[in-house]
Amino acid sequence: MIPLYGRTAWIGYGVVALAILFIVGPMVWIFVNSIKFQIAIFTGAWVFEPTLANYKEVLFSRRSDLVGNLLNSFVAAFASTAAVLVVGSLGAYGIHRWHRRRLFARLLLGWVLVFQMIPVITLVGPWYLLFHSLGLYNTLLALVLTHITINLPMTMWIMLTYFNEVPVELHEAATIDGCGDFTMFWRIVLPLVVPGLISAGILSFVFSWNDFAIALNLTARDTATVPVAIARFAQQFEIQHAQMAASSMIAIVPALLLIAFGQRYIVRGLTTGAVK
Amino acid sequence: MISEFANRTFKHWSLWPCLGFLLALSVYPVLQLIPMALSTIEFADGRSVWSFTPRRNLDLLLGDEVLRDAVVNTLFFVGLSVAIEMVLGFFAALFVACMPRGRTIACTVLILPILLPGVAIGSMWKLMYNYNFGLFNQVAGVLGIEPINWLGDTQWALLSVVIVDVWHWTPFVFLILYAAIESLPQEVLEAARIDGASAWQTIRLIILPLLGPALAVAAVFRAITAFKAFDQVYLLTSGGPGTSTELLSLHLNRVFFEQNQIGYGSMLSLAIIAVISASILVARWTSAHLERGDRAGAGR
Amino acid sequence: MQFQNMAALAAAGALALAATGPAAAQAPFANVGKQVDISILINSSPWFGGFEKIVDLYEKQTGNKVKLDVTPYGGMLEKGRNAVRAGTSPYDILNLDALWTIEFYEGGFLKPLAEIDPTFALPAEVLTFEDSNYWNAQQRWRTRDGGQLMGYSPNGNIHVLYYRDDLLKAAGLEPPKTWDDVAAICQKLHRPPGMYGFITRGEKGNPIRYDWTPFMQGAGASIVRAPKDGDYTVTINSPQALQALDRYISLQKSCAPPNVGVLGQGDVIQLLATGTAAQGLAVIAAWPTFDDRQRSAVVGKINTVVVPAFPGRNPGVAIGNWVFAVPKNIPAERQRAAIAFSNWFLTAPAQRAYAEGGGIPVRSDTFASDLASRPEFRWMKAYIDSQPFARQELGYAEGAQVEAVLGLRLNQALVGEMSPARALNTAAREIEAIFQRGGRRTGQLTPLPE
Repeated sequence: MIPLYGRTAWIGYGVVALAILFIVGPMVWIFVNSIKFQIAIFTGAWVFEPTLANYKEVLFSRRSDLVGNLLNSFVAAFASTAAVLVVGSLGAYGIHRWHRRRLFARLLLGWVLVFQMIPVITLVGPWYLLFHSLGLYNTLLALVLTHITINLPMTMWIMLTYFNEVPVELHEAATIDGCGDFTMFWRIVLPLVVPGLISAGILSFVFSWNDFAIALNLTARDTATVPVAIARFAQQFEIQHAQMAASSMIAIVPALLLIAFGQRYIVRGLTTGAVK
Repeated sequence: MISEFANRTFKHWSLWPCLGFLLALSVYPVLQLIPMALSTIEFADGRSVWSFTPRRNLDLLLGDEVLRDAVVNTLFFVGLSVAIEMVLGFFAALFVACMPRGRTIACTVLILPILLPGVAIGSMWKLMYNYNFGLFNQVAGVLGIEPINWLGDTQWALLSVVIVDVWHWTPFVFLILYAAIESLPQEVLEAARIDGASAWQTIRLIILPLLGPALAVAAVFRAITAFKAFDQVYLLTSGGPGTSTELLSLHLNRVFFEQNQIGYGSMLSLAIIAVISASILVARWTSAHLERGDRAGAGR
Repeated sequence: MQFQNMAALAAAGALALAATGPAAAQAPFANVGKQVDISILINSSPWFGGFEKIVDLYEKQTGNKVKLDVTPYGGMLEKGRNAVRAGTSPYDILNLDALWTIEFYEGGFLKPLAEIDPTFALPAEVLTFEDSNYWNAQQRWRTRDGGQLMGYSPNGNIHVLYYRDDLLKAAGLEPPKTWDDVAAICQKLHRPPGMYGFITRGEKGNPIRYDWTPFMQGAGASIVRAPKDGDYTVTINSPQALQALDRYISLQKSCAPPNVGVLGQGDVIQLLATGTAAQGLAVIAAWPTFDDRQRSAVVGKINTVVVPAFPGRNPGVAIGNWVFAVPKNIPAERQRAAIAFSNWFLTAPAQRAYAEGGGIPVRSDTFASDLASRPEFRWMKAYIDSQPFARQELGYAEGAQVEAVLGLRLNQALVGEMSPARALNTAAREIEAIFQRGGRRTGQLTPLPE
């Protein structure tokens, strides 16, 4: 922690308060919409009769399967995040240790960066064909595999910056002590980069949780994720704002709980890294 | 035994999984774009019929008037939103990290927007921007300001879209920078304090340089995701009014999907990829040169 | 009045119950036999609720299973394409926007219905919306003359003019018949920001192109001269088209809110439902909102008439229907099951139940039935009276590209980035280039003076 004193402290609190207001204002507004009937949303009414009808509809009506969608989203987000952390940190470590200045590594990292910039919509067509021919269309596995791929570039770049911070002497000392490559990675290096794993993990989780374009094209009713379910309320002729707000609020709760409870571990993880 | 084997071979296999994913699910689909970009693809009897027409697709690319507006808008959108997000995200992260208490709550609250899907954000903000009933014009009315035509005025529309992006993605910058600030070496900060450095000096001379890599990661990834922004803008304005919020991603979607021009759409995608790769190369080359110049200067 | 309405609704509800309740136990509307399960790709929409109820009834009556993959509108085209372009289609019936049908007909992705079951025929009462469900491959045109039956409409959207019955009556005004009437009513009732005289969509792309079409057709203008006969001369920069565009812009500028350049369907419905617009041009699919207390402040106060005309001309009514079609790349038994459902769905009692459940039926006899005289179905008269004037546009492979050009240039004229004449000239030039690339016989008119 950096201690603040005097005027700077006040400026600091002011900035944080403003940021929170800027973020929270619209969130509160969305919540308020979720307990209004559509007509009260339409008129922007300040005084209205609150209702739980929207929540009832998105949770219990036959048309909606939000609980199933939440489950799908969770499975896809957890599985792909876990996998991308393994794949991404292995890859980043491999580049960091053995290929740092080689043409091969540069090509790989360059490609990763370029790939990250390609609009996903150009990729979903080929992906559909691929997974359809493998018999994986409308499975969560297909979704997990694609989410690993789209989150791989970010994970690798984040992990590389953290690996680069690990002192070289540590490697040398460990090697002299007769420590093998994998043991060194697993026992010595990885604990030092926990903050990186946490940031990359949170971001991968969030991107997977929010992905719309891929999930829309690779899933059908049984495997649809939350964003696809929410988008159903944006119809051709009408947006059902009340239901959309209610399902957004529901969708945010599990992820929020996860992050709120995870905070302790996140902060602990971040400070573990700082001890180095 | 197993660990010994893993140790001996780790060097070789550590890269395999990520290479596998990249080759199968990224290189392969992008390679498929190349033949498509050189052809016109039509369908008959349920099969695709390809004809080799590189000139035609190139002419379409060069004669695309909307594309020019889209490029200009995209540069403006990416530049402005990333700049604002970096500044806001940095200061929010810094000050939250300095708070003696309440950091957990502040963090949780500040990352709320990235937990919402883009479609929901787009439709909700569209309501807030609504000229007659929206939150902002209601507030403006209370304050005695003339209602603002947020999305319908060609002067305001792109800026309104930028504001939504700032709301949605500043938390991303905040998260990365907060993690980085938390892992700054405490001794250095402590030393600076003992030496009597002012808060501003500490930020400028110590924290900012140490945060270099994290700032770069945040900026690059924000630039990339801003470049691909689609869902929200599509719901807010779908590129209008006129071409005032037409972004490259929207234009690509129009050509590729709405108009089913697979050949030209692939050409456009490849052109975008080529321009990006070229600009990344130039940026790296320039920064490498500048660094070398700096070092030479410092050595003297 | 209030009470009578409620009573009528209650009675209607009781009738509906009486109709569907025992029906489940009764003999099915059509005898379809035991069929394999099918799945339908369908978008979420205001009429989906009605369709879902009718599917439930089908399952109950026949014991056959129908799965519905409800997809956001934005993802429909891509999912449809994915389904037919490779392997076996996951869907047995695709719901296609009429604008997309050409791509699917011409690409040979669909099975003509008579090839599945030679005895299948559309009942004569089923509306075909200018033959949008037939395809003549030689002529490359949707027509039953020499064309094959490719599908049928589950929903036939057209434009109607919505107006505030109570306001017009209070001001002693008749529902509008011409655009001049619309302007006159607007002038009397326009009190922004509390009341806008007339609104329709101005949003870039399909919205403005589609909502301007009634003006264009009504002024006697067209996009191309005679595409049916292969004459693709571009006629969009004709003096009539300019008149239509000027009329559209002047109405929108003087009667609609300032954000008209991004006004989408949601905004139009919002303005009408909150009682902030006196007249609006919109699709019939918007109707269910206005009589729903949870969504509308004007329950029972809105009515519809046929789209207004230019003096001395017929009104222009643009069709925006959907077509149910069966993909080629599924096994024969699933194709037969799709036909069985279709036979049942198009029977008169099924269509009646569909209407009562909130759908828009597609049989003319349903509109002629006693339903039309019930207050909640008061839109039916304008709908069926519009049918003789209803026209399809963009019935060619280049349709989506032409729409993109028009959707942009019209919007630029509306927001003032271009003059109307320049917008139409630019559009004509670009559309001609599109047809040239497509190898069509094309050309254009002398440009309008800018």
